[in-house]
Amino acid sequence: MTEALSGAPRVAWTRRLSWSRARRERQIDRTIRAIPWVLGALFGAVAVHLLTILALPTLWPSAPYRALAAPLPLGRISILPRPGPDSGGAAFPDPFAVIALCRFDLSKGSARILAQADGVHPFSISMRLTDGTIFYSGNDRDTPSGRFNIRIVTQKQADAEDVSQNSGDEAAPTPGQSGATDDELRLASPNLRGFVVFRVLASREEDYDAARSALATARCATEKPSP
Amino acid sequence: MSGLKALPLATIAALALGSAATLASLQGGPGFGAVRLGAWTSWPQVGDSDIDPYARASLAVDGALPLGSREGVVLIATTDDEGAPLDARCDYRISGAAPAARFWTLSAYDVDGRLRPNLAHRHGLTSATLLRDSDGDFVIEAARGARPGNWLPLGEKSRFVLILRAYQAKTSAIGDAYQGMSVPSIARSECS
Repeated sequence: MTEALSGAPRVAWTRRLSWSRARRERQIDRTIRAIPWVLGALFGAVAVHLLTILALPTLWPSAPYRALAAPLPLGRISILPRPGPDSGGAAFPDPFAVIALCRFDLSKGSARILAQADGVHPFSISMRLTDGTIFYSGNDRDTPSGRFNIRIVTQKQADAEDVSQNSGDEAAPTPGQSGATDDELRLASPNLRGFVVFRVLASREEDYDAARSALATARCATEKPSP
Repeated sequence: MSGLKALPLATIAALALGSAATLASLQGGPGFGAVRLGAWTSWPQVGDSDIDPYARASLAVDGALPLGSREGVVLIATTDDEGAPLDARCDYRISGAAPAARFWTLSAYDVDGRLRPNLAHRHGLTSATLLRDSDGDFVIEAARGARPGNWLPLGEKSRFVLILRAYQAKTSAIGDAYQGMSVPSIARSECS
C-alpha cells in the first residue's frame, strides 16, 4: 500500500518529464525546419527591396518622365504651367523658373536641340533619361554666345559616325548638313529614350513672362538618319 | 511547418519586409552623400550621371526635377540653426551671405513640395531683388505677417521647408568643394 502510494506520483512525474522533453524536442525540430523559410523570407525581402528601388524611378506615377514627359509628342517643346500653390507640374518648383520639356526617342533618329539665351535671363539645358538620371547639363555661359546646338545620338550612332569620319568616307556628315556643324555638341545617350529640360530664370515674379519669351526660339526635333 | 503552409507566409513576409525597407530608405532625403552646411543640406550627386539608385528612387517618389550639376546647387533646410523643425507659427531671420553664384532664389514649400499659398501671392525672393547692406550681406524675415524689407511670406500651414537654389554656382558638384561655401543662417525669433 505504502509502495503503491509512493509509486504513483513518481510515475506521473516521470511521464510529465518525458512529455515535456518530447514537446521541447518537437519545438526544436520545428524551429530547425523553419530556418530555411526564415532565411528565404529574408533573401526575398532583400530582393523585393532592391527591385522596388530600381523600378520606382520609371514606374512611380509622379516620376518626372512618367508624369511630365511621357505624355508629350516627340520633338515638340512643352512649357510647364507657371509654378504656384495650385499648379501641377514637378514638386518643389522654383517660382522664378520657366521650365520646358521635350521628349526624345533615338530609335526614331537623333534629336536636335537648338536654343539661344537672351543674355538677360540665366538659361540652362539638361538631358535626362527615363529614370531621371541627368547625363548632361550646361548653361548659357558654357556655350558660345549663349547658343545651344546639341545633337543627341546613341553610342552606336556616335561610333559609326566616328568610324565614317576617320575613314574619310564621303557620306560622312559635313558642316551645314544634319550630321555636324562647327558649334554642334554631340552627346551619346546611354539609353534610347529620355527628355530634355530647358530652364530660364526670371529675376522676379513679375519678370516671368519675359523669361518665358526667351524660350520662343528653342527647338527640339527628331532627325531621321540619312539613307 | 509544412511547405504548403510556409511558402505563402514566407512570401508575405518577404514582400512586407522588402516594402518596409524601401519606404524606410526613402525617408530623410535623396540617397547618400549629403553635404551639411549649417541648417542646409545638399545632395551634390543628384545632378550627375553617378547618382545612386536610392537618390533616383527618392526623387521619383517626390516628383522633383533636380538641377543638373552645371545648372546649379540646391540647398534644403527643414530645421533652423538649432535643429528645431521649421514651423510657420514662428518668425525666422535668414541672414548672412548666399553661395557665390550668378543668381539665386529662396522659396518656402509645404512638406509635400507645393508652394505655400499666402495673401501677398509672393512665393520667394531672388538675389536680384534683395535689399543688402554695404557688405553685400542681407537679412530676410520669414514670417506669416508682412514685414518691411526682405519679407518671405510663410503662409498658414505650420511645417515648411526652405529651398535655396544657387544657379551657376561657383563650385563643382564634388562634396568637398562645398567646404567654405557661404550659406545664410536661419535663426528662430518669436513664436505665436
